[in-house]
Amino acid sequence: MFKQLGIVGTGVMGIGIAQLAVLSKIDVQLYDVNDTLLRRSTVRINANLRKMVNSGKISTEELQASMERIRTRTSLPDLGNCDFIIESVIEDIRVKKDIFKHLDSCTKSSAILASTTSSLSITSIGAQTRNPERIAGIHFFNPLDTSTLVEVVKGFKTNTETIDKIIEFVFLLAKTPIVVKDTPGFIVNRVSQPLFSEALRLLGENVATVEQIDRIAKNIGSFSGGPFELMDLMGIDTTLAEMQYLYEQSYGEPRLRPNPILKQMTETGWLGKKAKKGFYTYDEPSS
Amino acid sequence: MKTGTGKNAGAAKILHKKAKTKSVRSSSAKESARVDQAPQPVETKHPSAARIYIIGESPMVEQYAEVCAFHGYEVSLSWNEKPLQKPEFKSDHIKISSIIPANTSIVLELTNIDTAAKKANIERINDAIADTAPILSSSITVTATEQSSWISGKYRLVGLSALPTLIAKPLVEIAPTIYSPKETIEVTRRFFQSIGKEIEIVQDRIGMVLPRMLCRIINEAAYAIMEDIASPQDIDTALKLGAQFPFGPFAWAEQIGLNQVVAVLAALHADLQEERYRITPLLKQMAMTRKQA
Repeated sequence: MFKQLGIVGTGVMGIGIAQLAVLSKIDVQLYDVNDTLLRRSTVRINANLRKMVNSGKISTEELQASMERIRTRTSLPDLGNCDFIIESVIEDIRVKKDIFKHLDSCTKSSAILASTTSSLSITSIGAQTRNPERIAGIHFFNPLDTSTLVEVVKGFKTNTETIDKIIEFVFLLAKTPIVVKDTPGFIVNRVSQPLFSEALRLLGENVATVEQIDRIAKNIGSFSGGPFELMDLMGIDTTLAEMQYLYEQSYGEPRLRPNPILKQMTETGWLGKKAKKGFYTYDEPSS
Repeated sequence: MKTGTGKNAGAAKILHKKAKTKSVRSSSAKESARVDQAPQPVETKHPSAARIYIIGESPMVEQYAEVCAFHGYEVSLSWNEKPLQKPEFKSDHIKISSIIPANTSIVLELTNIDTAAKKANIERINDAIADTAPILSSSITVTATEQSSWISGKYRLVGLSALPTLIAKPLVEIAPTIYSPKETIEVTRRFFQSIGKEIEIVQDRIGMVLPRMLCRIINEAAYAIMEDIASPQDIDTALKLGAQFPFGPFAWAEQIGLNQVVAVLAALHADLQEERYRITPLLKQMAMTRKQA
């Protein structure tokens, strides 16, 4: 049923999904605005698959067959024959709305349109299209190769058939789908948010130090990483943006209020591991 | 911070053999001052047959009793409310006793929900045991500072973060108060080391660290259920797979006890007077139906 998968956007997520799809024997039409970006993407996918060949995960034949399944496109109407299109461009509601409006007009009406947005509202994205019932969210988690969860997001008008087809697709990629209603932060970002926001409050109120809170989270809470280690890893600016988004989308729900510590750190340039300085200082260059 | 003088300084000796309890108890201020200057080495490995008294809520009382007995303590225990099923203990060094033995060298008070019962327990413990024996009391719904105000022996009470299942972990959060001399903290450290745990000293605030983070996570998950965002099973799966949580929020809440989670959130809400600690109506109802079941 998924003969032709369209992917709009060749960021980390777009490329990752394309790679998973071709390995699952699905043909992919990869779209981006120019050939340079597309060439870079296919080179990267090829390199990733080569690594898998070298580590014995796939054969050289599988690599070749997989690469042959990829077609590159620089015009959205070229995706017209796809049954399923996944959009994975920057997290900007206007950009996404434009793409969906365009896709809505140039694809067959039976095609499913999905967005990998981690935060934006599916209902908003689909609002200005003729067929919002075929639009849903398909939220993958980083790193794509090891994270098995996919949040399948149901907008106000998304129909059951769309959700069922996306679930089927997620299973094809050997991942675990969880259906969630369209709500700010969906499930994972929303329910894990208190770990970070409460850790920041505890720090702000001087109840314990960064190191202590992380030790307590790991050694008493059995969390794999402490909240401050995790925020450093995700990026302080990214964490702040996510918190701000949740707060704004909920019209100022007090539980979701961001913490000023993150704003001050972002302004100072203490952006976490990528800047070698966040809640911790990192000597080694981050990989 | 006030340092140990007089009788409280003797607390450092409390994990010595119980035979020493008496002499510590009657030690003069002069002797204690000397102890203060040159702290005595405390036996960390095996406080031979030291008697511990544990009182509070099930299943915390049973869980702590097993761990203490396993590490060589003679345990007497009692509950505020007896558990419906009488627990079977693995160790025969555990005795159920409503009377606090006079030779008790350390007391654990493990009540979070019923603070009136907690106050009665603390007052009774303070009167029953030697002046030098420390009281380690769960302080996540009432601060250790407030608990100290209930008794004359303020110097001997130290808060800890106790919830069901947390005793299985290698670390314990400890909250000393402004009244805690370093001897009391040291005795607390030695005690936890003797049962195989390190301590993390944090400020004496409601919810301390882990219970505050964890109960807010569970509350947020309950909001998501109430709003019908996803099913409880799916939320648990999502947090384990998507955020690498060790347990899903609902599975975790079941381990700890929904009534405990509600008690922690209620205490945080009352203390900080903030909307963010408001308990999900659904969570309260879930806790109530569990209690009846």
